[in-house]
Amino acid sequence: MATSTAPTPVEAPTRREHVARQFGWNIVVWNDPVTLMTYVVLVFRRLFGYDHETATKLMLQVHNEGRAVVATQPREQAEVSVARLHAFGLQATLARP
Amino acid sequence: MAQVLRRRGRIQVRLSHLERDALLGIVAELSPQLPRVRDRISQAYDDAERQAEYARWVKPDFVAGCEADLSVVTDSLSSGEDTLPLTDAQALAWLRALSHLRRAAASELGIEADGWEEQADESTRNSREFGILMALGYIQEELVAALES
Repeated sequence: MATSTAPTPVEAPTRREHVARQFGWNIVVWNDPVTLMTYVVLVFRRLFGYDHETATKLMLQVHNEGRAVVATQPREQAEVSVARLHAFGLQATLARP
Repeated sequence: MAQVLRRRGRIQVRLSHLERDALLGIVAELSPQLPRVRDRISQAYDDAERQAEYARWVKPDFVAGCEADLSVVTDSLSSGEDTLPLTDAQALAWLRALSHLRRAAASELGIEADGWEEQADESTRNSREFGILMALGYIQEELVAALES
C-alpha cells in the first residue's frame, strides 16, 4: 500500500537569522577603566588591519559609549579574534548581529 | 628612567639593574592573581552552553599563551643586560603581559570605573599598587610608541 506524506511547511528564516548566517557574529569590545587608549588603537590595527583613523574611531566609540562592534566574522574566526583580544587583555564578547 | 627606542627596525628596552629587579618583583607579586584576571577577561558568550564550549576549546591555548608572554618578559629581564632587544613579536608579548599585570594591580586597588586617576586620594596615590599601575602603563605607552613609529 502506497503511503503519501504531506509536505511539511517550512518557515522562511527571519531577517535576523538570515543576517546572522550571512555575516556571522559581531565582535564586541567593552570599555574598561585601565586599558590605555593608544594600546587599544594598536591592538585594533594589528588584529583587524584597520588604518589609524578607523582604529581610533572604534577605540573612542568603546570609550564613550561603553562598547563597540569592532568586526563581524564567521563564528569560528570570530572566536579566534575574541581569544586574541582576550590575550591582549581586552574585554571582548561575541553577539549575533 | 626606562626608555623604549626603535633602532634599525628593532625595539630596544633600556632598563637599569634596579628597574629590572623591580619589574621581576612586580611579576612575582602579581602572578598569583593572573588566573583570576584571565577568568574575568575570557568571557566570550552570555549563553552558558556556548561559553562552556568556548572555554573547553579555547581557554587552554589562551592560558598557555599568557604564560608564554610572561616568560618572554621574565626571560628578557633576567638576561642581565641594560638594553633588551625585542622583535616586534616579543614587544607585543610584553604588551599583552603588561596589560594583564595592570589589570591585576587595578583589581587590588578596586578600580572599576573611568576617572580613577583624577579621583585617587593621597593615600591611594602613595600606594604600591598605584605606583605599579602607573609604571607598567608608562612602559606600555613607550612600547606602543616604538611599535607605531
